[in-house]
Amino acid sequence: MNPLPVTDADLNAYADGQLDASRRSVVEDALARDPALAAWMADARRHNADLRDALDPWLAEPIPERLLAAAAGPGVAAPRSPRRWLAPVVAVAASLLVGLAAGWYVRDADLERAGTPTTFTRQAALTHALYASDANRPVEVWAPEEKRLVTWLSKRLGFAVSAPDLNSTGFALVGGRLVAGHQNPTAMFMYENADKQRLSLQVRKQSVDGGEVAFRYAVENGVGVYYWIEDNCSYALSGNLDRAQLLAVGRVVYGQLAALEAAQGK
Amino acid sequence: MPAIVDPPLPQPDLLAAIPRLRRYARVLTGDINRADDLVQDTLARAWEKRRLWAAGSDLRAWLFTIMHNVFVNQRALARRDQQQLSLDDGGEGDAAWQIPVRAGQYTRVELTELVQHVGRLPADQREVLLLAAVEEMKYEEIAVALAIPIGTVMSRLSRARAKLRGAFADAPAGSAALKVVK
Repeated sequence: MNPLPVTDADLNAYADGQLDASRRSVVEDALARDPALAAWMADARRHNADLRDALDPWLAEPIPERLLAAAAGPGVAAPRSPRRWLAPVVAVAASLLVGLAAGWYVRDADLERAGTPTTFTRQAALTHALYASDANRPVEVWAPEEKRLVTWLSKRLGFAVSAPDLNSTGFALVGGRLVAGHQNPTAMFMYENADKQRLSLQVRKQSVDGGEVAFRYAVENGVGVYYWIEDNCSYALSGNLDRAQLLAVGRVVYGQLAALEAAQGK
Repeated sequence: MPAIVDPPLPQPDLLAAIPRLRRYARVLTGDINRADDLVQDTLARAWEKRRLWAAGSDLRAWLFTIMHNVFVNQRALARRDQQQLSLDDGGEGDAAWQIPVRAGQYTRVELTELVQHVGRLPADQREVLLLAAVEEMKYEEIAVALAIPIGTVMSRLSRARAKLRGAFADAPAGSAALKVVK
């Protein structure tokens, strides 16, 4: 019995990876016989892949506040009230920080006394100002290629770095780049919120083991920087945000890094 | 007697669906701001109609359905004067397709061109193409989401692909239609 002829529906389903196994070989035979069909299929598959490449980056954009409010449902929705949608976020952040909280407040007290180097904060602020103001090319590798970015930066820094997920704070990853450091190369991750405010997190290895330093806040050339040393790495979170806002993001970053370390059994 | 309160929609799933809803809305409206208006209307509608969502079923597919309906209704209202009441009657794609592929990326020229061509497709073909090619939804799911027969899904997809090919071949759209192979 001859198989049924190949139809448009077969070809579309084949292109979209939805064709039944029983029909697949029929289509493949037809593609092998007919160059025009093969060309159609090549175009269809390329268009599929290209459309995903073109439209997938949209998924990484930060969600506007009014949509977060709309998602929270009637009665909760208050577009000009970020605190409400932040509440669950804060709860999540808080749960990440369980067990760290006690240490945290000790750190806060510590940092008032600690005499910490200013080089890194100043450098971080300058680097942030330089790249965050660049509308078109703030980063070298963009968020859709986060995996490649992280692999590259980890290799260059000589230890595993990762880009914390700050979507819960309204900041989405833009991408990252390698920047020159005082002694060691520094990884920079850039984030942006719906209001186009940008934050950067910079990470580098300490060249000398200086112990741990608690959260320290500095303002360098108008850029706010939270700075800390953990596990022999220096972190700087910079942005033109007010201190409380920056600290809130800093805590999410810190919480995620701590959770990651715990997961890795450090 | 206490009022019966509908159970709330699951927040994590709802939040997780928003980026995809925004993308779908952009492809439907061709305009970033109108797209977010459409998402907002869709979320509001979803909350109103939450009783109709079968808990445990695919929330995203249900939200796509709502968005499609809200969009069709809004277009019908906007076009009432022209007596064009359905998406299916729509002519070529909206003239005001203003969605840039993000500039400054490792963007290839073909991607920008492709998105422009997609923007010129009639809305009904554009949405089927997006759901099949980008959202990778099953044809059966698309048929349910858009409340159309599966044969219509297939024919819209065929026409969309023929037009895209035609556009790239710089030939009149439709000339590259497929022949049935005997």
